[in-house]
Amino acid sequence: MLLREIMHTDVLTVSPDTKLCEAYRTMHERKIRHLPVLDGEKLVGIITDRDLRFATSKLSEVPFDPEETVQNVMIKKVITAHPDDPIEIAARIMRDLKIGSLVIMENGKLVGIVTGIDLLDALLALTGVHRPSGRLDVRLSDRAGELAKLTKLLAERKINIHSILTYREKDDRVRVMLRLNTMEVRNIAEEICQMGIEVVWPVHVSCLR
Amino acid sequence: MFEIIFTGKYAKYNLGAEHPFSPLRMKMTLELLEALGEKVEFTEPQPVEPDELFKIHSQDYVEAAEAVSDGKEIPNAEKYGLGTADNPVTEGMAEGARYICGGTLLGAKMLIENKAEKVLQLGGGLHHAHYSSAAGFCLYNDLALAIKEMTQNGMYVAYIDIDVHHGDGVQEIFYNDDKVMTISFHETGEYLFPGTGSIFELGNGAGKNLKLNVPLEPFTEGESYLEAVKKVAQTALSQFHPDAIVIQSGADAHFSDPLADLLLTTQDYEKLFRLLIELGNNFAKGKMLFTLGGGYSFEAASRIWTILYLVLSGKKIPKNLEIPENWRRRWSGILGVELPEFLHDRPNSYKAIPRKKEIEAHNRDTVRRLLDLSTAGMFYF
Repeated sequence: MLLREIMHTDVLTVSPDTKLCEAYRTMHERKIRHLPVLDGEKLVGIITDRDLRFATSKLSEVPFDPEETVQNVMIKKVITAHPDDPIEIAARIMRDLKIGSLVIMENGKLVGIVTGIDLLDALLALTGVHRPSGRLDVRLSDRAGELAKLTKLLAERKINIHSILTYREKDDRVRVMLRLNTMEVRNIAEEICQMGIEVVWPVHVSCLR
Repeated sequence: MFEIIFTGKYAKYNLGAEHPFSPLRMKMTLELLEALGEKVEFTEPQPVEPDELFKIHSQDYVEAAEAVSDGKEIPNAEKYGLGTADNPVTEGMAEGARYICGGTLLGAKMLIENKAEKVLQLGGGLHHAHYSSAAGFCLYNDLALAIKEMTQNGMYVAYIDIDVHHGDGVQEIFYNDDKVMTISFHETGEYLFPGTGSIFELGNGAGKNLKLNVPLEPFTEGESYLEAVKKVAQTALSQFHPDAIVIQSGADAHFSDPLADLLLTTQDYEKLFRLLIELGNNFAKGKMLFTLGGGYSFEAASRIWTILYLVLSGKKIPKNLEIPENWRRRWSGILGVELPEFLHDRPNSYKAIPRKKEIEAHNRDTVRRLLDLSTAGMFYF
């Protein structure tokens, strides 16, 4: 999944001389938290609702006046990504830098924005249930051909796979969770078990225990 | 008085000898009732015509289903969920499904015309059939057709689904409908087919907060199940006050069911049926239409539906009611398995669940969270 597929392309921006109170109103009304700052077509900064609230808070040492302009408060070093970057790259950057959005640039121009919420949507799309399906959960050895054994059997039984999620467990085995378009996961799970693959769910089928 | 609807033609909806959704289950139930000395008198329905199904299914889907059922090849059967492992194509299945729809529809008409207070349709409950596709053994959504008939006659309808799988097809078809409340109790979709039925699925538009889902933990036992049903159904029905309740009485939450992981006993089912009838009498003028549904331990399903019949006919069921030998011998021979001696399960018939307390606490939290969401009128989707 690429950022191009999930980014917002109708990006609201402000200019460096936008007043802080105006930027705040825009965020409030449009229910957004990040505003890239453009000088003409050039990206010169980004301002977030958090920056604004810290800058203007009475608790700050020297609070900014709401009439002052964005350029004095904005972050000038903007972290950007390319629309063809995969979403996991975006997630890594945002996680490492603890930032809430990425401005997406292509050919030197701003073409989109992606926020943490968009990544949550992407997670939902990847893990969510979109068509009727039952869960099969197995542990595989981490070597070539293991998954193929499993999928070959499913294909022979005319069972369609709606999604596959995997992660590596502590003992270096690979946990694979599938959503299959069948009510009868147990039947197929028993066959899988007999092939020597450990079935984690449905739990009754765990014949290798 | 209550009415029974049945015809041997339901057996035309036969997805193959090895398929779990078998018409044998109805036959076993009827013969068990007869063996117990019940004289079951039923009204035989007519099949609905394919175009009557356009109220609840897309025309292209119905035409596709009819075509494959007549043995015609169509290029995009998979798109309609036809010819899959769960929904194989068999000759005449569409006609059989239209008989089933006719039966459930007849039940709706009996309630609309005040010809009966309680109706038991001894078949149907094809709750996974979607607007535009077959799924989970279900071709045509007989429940949705019956509910639609009622709402088009000015009734408000509550649909209660006690099948162990989420009633996704019925929910989908009425998701925006303010005349239909759906309540589904099922094993959580995190594990079980079809995967939907989370507490956050609350309906949309005018139907907002009228679609309720109670996803229960695997290995939930009767006590916890009944507690959830009582709490949610009572709260919901006391506010909605429907004119009738349609109940999909799947028997697959029984502990012996091979497809799912809940642990209800036949005693729990008897309590559940009595509870639902009490709720119907209190909040829906007593009008109730029961259909069958899932239930893939054939012997458990036939006992549970026999119990449903006996409860509906106002009978007390003796604790140790024995199953007549002739029925046991006959069906034991056909199915090739031992059959129980008593109508009700024996005590301790499944292994104790070590996580019982956790499961009960989790289910209680689920009910609490659901009621918080739905009664707060929060907008989720």
